[in-house]
Amino acid sequence: MATRGGPSRRVPENDSTIAYVQADGLAVMKIVKHCHEEAASNMDIAQGALLGLVVDNRLEITNCFPFPKHTDDTMDEEEYQLAMMRRLRRVNVDHFHVGWYQSADVGNFLSLPLLESQYHYQTSIEESVVVIYDSQKSSRGFLTLKAYRLTQQAIEMYKEGEFTPETLLKLKVGFENLFVEVPFVIKNSALTNIMMSELAEMVPEEQGSKFLDLGTASVLEGQLRCLMDRVDELNQEAIKFNRYQQLVSRQQQDKHRWLQKRSQENAARAAKDELPLPEEDVNKLFRPHPVPPRLNPMIIAGQINTYSQHISQFCSQSLAKLYITQALQNAKESKTTI
Amino acid sequence: MSRFFATGGSDSDSDSSSDEEVVQRPTVPVYTFSDDEEEIKRVVRSTKEKRYEELTNLIKQIRNFKKIKDMSSMLSSFEDLQKAYVKALPVIQKEENGQTPRFYTRCLVELEDFINEMWEDREGRKNLSKNNSKSLASMRQKLRKYVKEFEEDLTKFRANPDMPDDEEDEEKRDPEPDSDSEVPPKATIKTSKPAEGEEGESSSDSDDWPSDSESSSASSEDEDKFQTMRERFLKRNTEKEEDEEKEKKKEERRKERKDREKRRKKEDEEDEEGEWETVKGGMAIPSEKPKMFAKDAEIDLNLVIKKLNEIVAARGKKRTDRREQIELLHELQAVADQHQLGPAVAVKIKFAIISAIFDYNPKVSDAMKPEYWTRLLERMSEMLDMLQNHGDILISESVTEEMERFDEPPYRVRGCVLTSLERLDDEFIKLLKECDPHSNEYVERLKDEAKVSAIIDKVQKHLELHGAQSELCRIYLRKIEHLYYKFDPTVLQQKNGEIKLTVVTSMQEMERLCKYIYAKDGTDRLRTRAILSHIYHHALHDNWFQARDLVLMSHLQETIQHSDPSTQILYNRTMAHLGLCAFRHANIKDAHNCLVDLMMTGKPKELLAQGLLPQRQHERSKEQEKIEKQRQMPFHMHINLELLECVYLVSAMLIEIPYMAAHEFDARRRMISKTFYQQLRSSERQSLVGPPESMREHVVAAAKAMRNGHWGACNNFIINEKMNTKVWDLFYQADAVRAMLTKLIKEETLRTYLFTYSHVYDSISMSTLAEMFELDKSVVHSIISKMIINEELMASLDDPSQTVVMHRSEPSRLQSLALQLADKINNFVDSNERILETKQGNFFLRSANQGAFRGDRQNYRAGNVQDWSRQRRDNRREY
Repeated sequence: MATRGGPSRRVPENDSTIAYVQADGLAVMKIVKHCHEEAASNMDIAQGALLGLVVDNRLEITNCFPFPKHTDDTMDEEEYQLAMMRRLRRVNVDHFHVGWYQSADVGNFLSLPLLESQYHYQTSIEESVVVIYDSQKSSRGFLTLKAYRLTQQAIEMYKEGEFTPETLLKLKVGFENLFVEVPFVIKNSALTNIMMSELAEMVPEEQGSKFLDLGTASVLEGQLRCLMDRVDELNQEAIKFNRYQQLVSRQQQDKHRWLQKRSQENAARAAKDELPLPEEDVNKLFRPHPVPPRLNPMIIAGQINTYSQHISQFCSQSLAKLYITQALQNAKESKTTI
Repeated sequence: MSRFFATGGSDSDSDSSSDEEVVQRPTVPVYTFSDDEEEIKRVVRSTKEKRYEELTNLIKQIRNFKKIKDMSSMLSSFEDLQKAYVKALPVIQKEENGQTPRFYTRCLVELEDFINEMWEDREGRKNLSKNNSKSLASMRQKLRKYVKEFEEDLTKFRANPDMPDDEEDEEKRDPEPDSDSEVPPKATIKTSKPAEGEEGESSSDSDDWPSDSESSSASSEDEDKFQTMRERFLKRNTEKEEDEEKEKKKEERRKERKDREKRRKKEDEEDEEGEWETVKGGMAIPSEKPKMFAKDAEIDLNLVIKKLNEIVAARGKKRTDRREQIELLHELQAVADQHQLGPAVAVKIKFAIISAIFDYNPKVSDAMKPEYWTRLLERMSEMLDMLQNHGDILISESVTEEMERFDEPPYRVRGCVLTSLERLDDEFIKLLKECDPHSNEYVERLKDEAKVSAIIDKVQKHLELHGAQSELCRIYLRKIEHLYYKFDPTVLQQKNGEIKLTVVTSMQEMERLCKYIYAKDGTDRLRTRAILSHIYHHALHDNWFQARDLVLMSHLQETIQHSDPSTQILYNRTMAHLGLCAFRHANIKDAHNCLVDLMMTGKPKELLAQGLLPQRQHERSKEQEKIEKQRQMPFHMHINLELLECVYLVSAMLIEIPYMAAHEFDARRRMISKTFYQQLRSSERQSLVGPPESMREHVVAAAKAMRNGHWGACNNFIINEKMNTKVWDLFYQADAVRAMLTKLIKEETLRTYLFTYSHVYDSISMSTLAEMFELDKSVVHSIISKMIINEELMASLDDPSQTVVMHRSEPSRLQSLALQLADKINNFVDSNERILETKQGNFFLRSANQGAFRGDRQNYRAGNVQDWSRQRRDNRREY
């Protein structure tokens, strides 16, 4: 399962208007700062708008600004955005709205609101992307920024507004092809690069012991817990769907029985030269049960997928580290014995 | 009654005129006159007299209202006056040549002055009630308009304040206020009283009546005459306004009148005396008196019984004055005593009094007034004493009216002492519920508890001599209900051998009463209640095993939901005390089990009927609330809810915390106590936990300390000054309970410690543990052995070194999490497979008309071969 979703997400769509996202260092730093501030103060997610421009098949993100938190109703959000952009334009910043960003923990970003807002973005601004910043993982030293776009199927599905299994089947949407990941590149100006390399020389060299810090238990535990919750949820959904299926099959049987009875009656009536009773009543008698929407399970499945990916990734890293430690240990022991 | 008060109140110019009076006042004269007219038809009066009388009466009223500044009534009277004047106008035209009568003018002048004065007095006006000030304003306007018509007369009157006339006026005015104010009430009394009496009494009484009504009507006639006389006199005054020549005559007349006034005053006084007498005795006595005195000689048994029956027959009728009935009966009793008609009659009358007092309160839900309550108590005990002294009175419901015998022993009286007693007891509880439990009043009322108990004892004695078994059961239960919730320290002293076994404690008493009920009772309800009370009493006195055995033997917990609410409440109370008792005996599990049902709902207050929860979204209607209010327990029988909750939480803590520590990673862990969990979680959710304040916070803090294995901290949180005053000191043997608690805390904390930290240790010395938890080594040893036997702790004891060696076979945290996840995923796969199964089942069941749909689906599958091929394979295998 995990491998199934993996490659399809990494491969960008051929017909996509943009091939990769290139972000300025400034914008990235601003995103990181905002997300960390937000994560530190409370558990809310941070959101903001991305500004930039489209060059050929590349989306450049040159600046960004955070959305205000929903503390008061007096402020109109759109007005705020427009005003913000107008002001940024005055200071000669790109004011083309190219998407938005959001902070997330591991893989929990995938959700209904995200899907919805990205749909609105993408229908109004073709090229827009959502950038997900994983604050938890970044705080462990892995800067994780990912850009996603909705696939064509997902947009269509949203357009239809129906999440029955049939429509999902018809559109061939699964959790693995809701989003497509767009490669994310950070580009700094030459001057910045020079300064960075200068700084790198000034930073004292690390002893290297920290590279082998496993820290497995806590991280894995947290992820396992989250995964368990999601599995539970998905299980609930499955049970719900199962119940629905049973209802439908029972209804189907009832319907069948009723139709048989009706046809018998009609045969009897025909023998008596009477008009046959209409068979259309069946639709009135047996109203179809509402189909449980499948969007939520799909999203949960997507989340499980991301969690699984993260866990497997983490585990492979840890395993590698373990082997390295073993080798080092062996080397040390052999050294002491000699 | 109120009528009398209303009019009587008007002559004392008190400000305490209540609304009722104000409302009633204007109606008074109307009644009076209509009555008058009805009764005194014999008196022929000229229209002039009638009209003038009307006018003068109204004027008098206005004057009265003026005194008490009742503007609204004055306004209505003024309007009446106007109407009356219009009515009287033709007469006036005829009699006085269109001259406005002098007294009328005077009234107007006075009124105008008064209104102006009132109007000027701004401060006073502000103080007036809204209604009154409104009336004042409209009165002023109306008067202004009206006065314009009489301007001439008024100016004349003002300009010419006739000396002689004025003198007269002054003279007259002196007595007038008195007479004015007194006349109407008298009239009303005189006229209304007979009417009332006639209404109240049955027709059989009528032969007693004529004389009385005659006399009263005569007196009222007198009054009328006098009034008319005076009017005539007044009128003459106006006629001869300017006739100065006739001063002499006037003086004569004045003398005459003075005399008459004096006479009248005397009369009044006499009248008053007579009247006041009657008033003191209550309204009823005028009707009683003639009978008592007129037939003084003839009073005998039958007559008294007849009278009693008459009075009793009026009971429950709409017009019957209930208070009057009580008075009547008392009077009758006095008569009966006077003539020594025998104890049976006295008992009968007492019975009637008691039921009359019961009837006095029309509403069932409200308590009776305290004064009646004390009376009731007195009467009841008197009656019972009488019954006791005269053993030859048979009193029972089975005696019919015909069979009653009062004249000679053995007497037979119809009635039921037990029912009255039960009613009395219920009233007592109602009365207690009515009081504010924190006031002195409650204490005062509670003192009657002894009296009620004494009465119950008396009835019990009586019934033990005469009563049937079922009645005895009932009275025993009443006694039990007064006994079961009272704590008797002698029981415990006896248990400890401080008191000899021969002393009868409440325990033995309960035992005796309950056993009688168990043996003899025919109805299930009494037995159930007796058992519950018995258990309660046992639990209250620390007889844990007896109480528990009784509960288990009675199997009440299975059937209690079918019983009536009050029994259920008793059951809840019993369970609460059983829980407390179990706690005192260190049976924490039992304590928890007893209390969990009470506390789980979060509304023990309601379940124990110790107060209503605040209304939420109209959960219950008014009716329901009333019923629930009736079920409430009186305050002195309440069980301390905080104590209950604390005991529950502490026992939950002692069970739950080790359990939580033992099953930290168990997917199928279940909560033992939801309430405790909630408390714990809500405290965990807080970002900043301050030092504990309330009892709950203390317990939660203790639980946290216990989780970490700090038995000392835990103990300090549970047992400290605050908690002592709040909770533990409420126990009878608080120190024993505290010692027990400390011991339990130590043991359970040790268990928790071992569960939580065993994975850290390879081995642990028992002596260290014993030191850590300040427990005996043997205790530690036994606890650990128990844990090992129950496979809670994967370890073994190493005897020579006195250590516990851990096996370390428990999975690590991550491992157990992974196991849990595997479990969950298994579940998920199961349900997923079920979905698939039904799909396939459908697949083959589908009828022909759905073929198109199926084809569609198959096409899709064909396009997605790699995904579905596996499933195909599965399908094939199934074939």
